[in-house]
Amino acid sequence: MRTRVVITGIGGICGLGTNAADIWTEMRAGRSAIGPISNLALHDIKVRTGCEIKQLPDHGIERKQLVAMDRFSLLAVIAAREALQQSGLDITDANTHRAGSIVGVGICGWETVEENYRSILIDGKNRAGIFTVPKVMPGAAAGQVSMNLGLRGPVYGVTSACASSNHAIAAAVDQIRLGRADVMVTGGTDAPMVWGILKGWEALRVLSPDTCRPFSADRQGLVLGEGAGMVVLESFEHAKARGATILGEIAGVGLSGDASDIVAPTIEGPENAMRACLADAGLNAEDVDYLNAHGTGTKANDQIETVAIKRVFGDHAYNLSVSSTKSMHAHCLGASGALEMIACINAICESVVPPTANFREPDPDCDLDVTPNVARERKVRAALSNAFAFGGTNAVLAFKAF
Amino acid sequence: MADQLATEIIEKIKEHAESGDDEITVNTELTALGIHSLELTEIIFDLEEKYGIEIEMNTVEAWSNLKNVGDMVAAVRALIDKKA
Repeated sequence: MRTRVVITGIGGICGLGTNAADIWTEMRAGRSAIGPISNLALHDIKVRTGCEIKQLPDHGIERKQLVAMDRFSLLAVIAAREALQQSGLDITDANTHRAGSIVGVGICGWETVEENYRSILIDGKNRAGIFTVPKVMPGAAAGQVSMNLGLRGPVYGVTSACASSNHAIAAAVDQIRLGRADVMVTGGTDAPMVWGILKGWEALRVLSPDTCRPFSADRQGLVLGEGAGMVVLESFEHAKARGATILGEIAGVGLSGDASDIVAPTIEGPENAMRACLADAGLNAEDVDYLNAHGTGTKANDQIETVAIKRVFGDHAYNLSVSSTKSMHAHCLGASGALEMIACINAICESVVPPTANFREPDPDCDLDVTPNVARERKVRAALSNAFAFGGTNAVLAFKAF
Repeated sequence: MADQLATEIIEKIKEHAESGDDEITVNTELTALGIHSLELTEIIFDLEEKYGIEIEMNTVEAWSNLKNVGDMVAAVRALIDKKA
């Protein structure tokens, strides 16, 4: 019998709210936080739509740690502190070496990269900021979380573009299943609301000028957002022994590669990842009530994902509640899967499927029940969360009611 | 009494310290400042341009030898004197 991995705390921060409870309230209400970008210097960027965290919460993180962090690490630490607090777990000398952190990051510290390029190449400064290297590195988020919470077990970063969160969570599940840790604080983060990043995405011509409308016939592309989502995972035995409140179970993980094209997705890659996930979780297609789609709002993704879901779920695909919460928190890249996990866990706990917001027009190529605009009450026994990425790196998680 | 260099360094440290930390003197222990050691190093680097000195410093080694603000001032002064 393999080790069961349960969730005992969640934390989050994104345009929808600065804690997981507020994020869920907004998701459930179908309110989108996408709008004009106002926090950053946009320079010559044409697409001025995004999903920002307008104001950070009072996080209580020491200045000494703050100066050494890029925004993507800060967001991860804020969400991780919330998740650990909810779990009620005290990290002590006795358990610190059995608790670790794996954090998914799609980009890395581009705010720092840009600050330095601008100050050196434009303003004529002769040296980079002293914290440049430790702020930019993609593994910084996991390191900073471990420092803030005192986690001395397995600690590292994971990166796979838009699937980073799900791969990170999958890796954290492995640490517990392999007996390397009893507790893992895991999730994903990214802070891409930076000129250089937006400029790059603009060149790809996949950014929507108005908003994100996944599965809607008039969808025009994706919208970028910033945020972080984190959970506390524990072996069931560990959670039970300390009398923790269990929010749900990570029942399985499915991973696959397209091995096809660096940007164009295949049907088979996502299909294989979903199949592998169901098999790993010991679930039949009929056991799944909710699927949180990758649902970026691009023409190609939503259509291909629909076909892949139908291949995996057969007739049950039409009984399944599907939604893309990216319509509300936008595509937060390395944080997406973790924010979508907040949707899945709450859908299970509250028997409510969060909707796909901004939906206007049915698309015959996306004919599943995408829960348009209004949440739906239904019992959710199990939920799948899809994440597909440039590079053809697919990661699907299965969550089950406990 | 702090001299000009010491006053200047203390003023720079204050810009980086938590607000309310205005009792910094040459006797203040560096660990008590609540400032990351790399950030303190950067404060010294900011003085390079002003005094036309080049600070060759292994930051890890440097901080194991410097205990208080006065030590930091002395280290910079030694470099300036060397140049002169």
